[in-house]
Amino acid sequence: MVPQDRPALRSIPIPKDRRYQPRHVGYSALKRFTVRELLSYGLLFFALAALLVTIYSLLPWLIKQVPAFVVGGELSGWGQVVYGVLAAILGFTVVAVAALILILMLRKYLALVQNRYGPLHYGPAGAFQTVADAIKLLVKEDFTPGKADRLVFTLAPLIVFVSALLLLTVIPFAPGWVLADTSVGLLIIIAAGTIGAYGVLLAGWSSDNKFGLLGGLRATAQLISYEIPLALSLLTVAVWVGSLNLSAIVEAQRMWWTALPLVISLLVYLIASLAEIKMVPFDLPEAESELVAGFNTEYSGMRFGFFFVAEFGELFLLPAIAVTLFFGGYHQPLAGWWDFAEVLRGWGGFGEFLANLYGLFWFLLKTALLSWLVMWLRATLPRFRDDQLMELCWKVLIPLSLVGLVVAVVLRLVFK
Amino acid sequence: MTMLRPTELAPVPGAQEMLVNLGPQHPATHGVLKVVLGIDGERVTRAVPHIGFLHRNHEKIEESRTYHQVIPYLDRMDYVSGLQNELPFCLAVEELAGIEVPERAKYLRTALFELNRIISHLVWIGTYMLDLGAITPFLYAFRDREAALDIVERTTGGRMLPNYFTFGGVRRDINPRFWQELTGFVDYLEGVLPEYEALTVEAPVFRARTVGIGVLPPAMAINHGISGPMLRASGVAHDLRKDQPYDAYPWLDFEVITRREGDSWARSKLRCQELYQSIDLIRQCARKAPRTGPYLGKGRLKIEAGRQRYRAVEASRGQLGVYLYSDGGPGPYRSKHRSPSFTNLQVLPDLFVGQRFSDVIAILGSMDIVLGEVDR
Repeated sequence: MVPQDRPALRSIPIPKDRRYQPRHVGYSALKRFTVRELLSYGLLFFALAALLVTIYSLLPWLIKQVPAFVVGGELSGWGQVVYGVLAAILGFTVVAVAALILILMLRKYLALVQNRYGPLHYGPAGAFQTVADAIKLLVKEDFTPGKADRLVFTLAPLIVFVSALLLLTVIPFAPGWVLADTSVGLLIIIAAGTIGAYGVLLAGWSSDNKFGLLGGLRATAQLISYEIPLALSLLTVAVWVGSLNLSAIVEAQRMWWTALPLVISLLVYLIASLAEIKMVPFDLPEAESELVAGFNTEYSGMRFGFFFVAEFGELFLLPAIAVTLFFGGYHQPLAGWWDFAEVLRGWGGFGEFLANLYGLFWFLLKTALLSWLVMWLRATLPRFRDDQLMELCWKVLIPLSLVGLVVAVVLRLVFK
Repeated sequence: MTMLRPTELAPVPGAQEMLVNLGPQHPATHGVLKVVLGIDGERVTRAVPHIGFLHRNHEKIEESRTYHQVIPYLDRMDYVSGLQNELPFCLAVEELAGIEVPERAKYLRTALFELNRIISHLVWIGTYMLDLGAITPFLYAFRDREAALDIVERTTGGRMLPNYFTFGGVRRDINPRFWQELTGFVDYLEGVLPEYEALTVEAPVFRARTVGIGVLPPAMAINHGISGPMLRASGVAHDLRKDQPYDAYPWLDFEVITRREGDSWARSKLRCQELYQSIDLIRQCARKAPRTGPYLGKGRLKIEAGRQRYRAVEASRGQLGVYLYSDGGPGPYRSKHRSPSFTNLQVLPDLFVGQRFSDVIAILGSMDIVLGEVDR
């Protein structure tokens, strides 16, 4: 037998920083959000805002400095081409930067909810972690699986990314700050989402991987189904405002946001856009525990990076569309009653610019709050099953969005 | 490379099958289980489990070790609940050699056994929610498991592989604050468990995913030799803590928890109820355990040739048994383990076929297998 004289293990006091401190789940965790972290996010959003300002304000001004590109105060044909190319490059950067910021926000927020630190080491409070990740993706080996369809395999992430980029073109970030101020803005939004479904399907199919194929099929079914309630809820806004132009829709919301009369459509839009960006609880296409990584199982390096950036770019852009359509866009709340932007505009040329900055601030703030809502859901919910996903879409959301449409029509007839 | 025997390759009539290897490297198989799934769209037409990727020859190794040398190996079977593996072997040897266990040691072993059940169920709830796509409960569960592991560490010196139980009691005395720490932990856990339940088994999406999925009828469960929470969730009141009481269980007051539904949700809910039960049992142990006295019984570890014994305990996954046959030597001549995960896994094809691909994950997770124990 074991000798009886073995002492008990000495009970060593645990150092204070390693001591187990039970912490209540949920809101009390928010206290850990330090000033330093808030400042670093402010910094990052400043980067995004600076990029947007560059595109929308400085770029036309810069091009107009070249005499050959100006005809009678407006951009000439060549001027518009140059503007388009430069805007596309900068738009790419905007989506990428927005994605980097939102990935970081998601990681930090999840860490907050889950009682851990999240990224810490690169930059203040880990602010440049995603930049480091992006560089890692850029320098990784450009690898295509042997049996993959090389052309389609490369094309698919680009299609997905371009569909995200297309959304950017129609969003007005401030009065006049919109890349394409077209009268078919809403149609472009719907079209861009549909193109994205192709990219995901082709990615799953071309990578010659069973999990990829399953993920691609799931994604296609999901995206195509959720296009319908999404489009219908966008349509209600068009019915209510009477325009497909996003700038006109924003201007119509100076006093009362569309969210108030069209609350049903807003709900439908939020749920359907969750499905569009493939976030929990609708992340079936890339359900990690079922399909390994779904449609992007075989993707690595920058090809994967494009999917990733597109997904998180959409996490910025779809809430941005919601803000534009339902939450008054760049207007401050109750702008029809008293608008600080009007005060700024009264100062003349530079005041105009400041007013636009003020609008951009409100726009980014609202978008950040809506993106945070998505992250909150991601931190809380498990994932639906594929058939439940479809049932939710066809049996709940589509009838609901039709109800929303009827409500919009009736309200328009009554109030306008 | 898909490994299927010729008989298993016979086509399922009317199905357009695609064979998918679920594992051995797959996030949802909790280790190196491989299941070859035939899927027709999202519908599973066949499921063939392949095990043995983690086979470490436990039983054969034990034959060449002395009884004391065997115990550390036992920890490594079900690495999620290390202490529980040691108990059936200790019980069998104690009964064969006639070693008495002091009352204090019995309470100690019982309390630690139940603490290990808490640890195991917390790991289960976390990994299962991970399977279903929610990451947050995983981190909450592991955070609290950490506190339990700290108690195990301060008591036994090891965290997951404690090597603590021995023939006649436990290997070394507890520290003076043991019962205080233990009750403090269960008090804390009882406070947060309702929140976890709301976040997991009571969450609407979770219910939508698990209610009515993978229903295991009682008859089928009994025929397959299922035990533990899986069996009790099918409505069979079989609990070795009641049926073949060991250690301090005869002196503790508790009921066998059963549920009738037999589906994935019932298995999940039952484990949550068992967490509360374990908390209660630990409190009872802390109240009733003698504070002084020996922690190790006296006796001579000599087992006569030809004696054999099967002893089983109700581990967190079910009936964990060991069969010992002695040839009079210093170690077992034959040592056979009956591990609950391995037996529970046998019902897998019956539960999988006809389900959707997503449900396969929901069922597999609710079975709560540990591959270290399946393959040994």
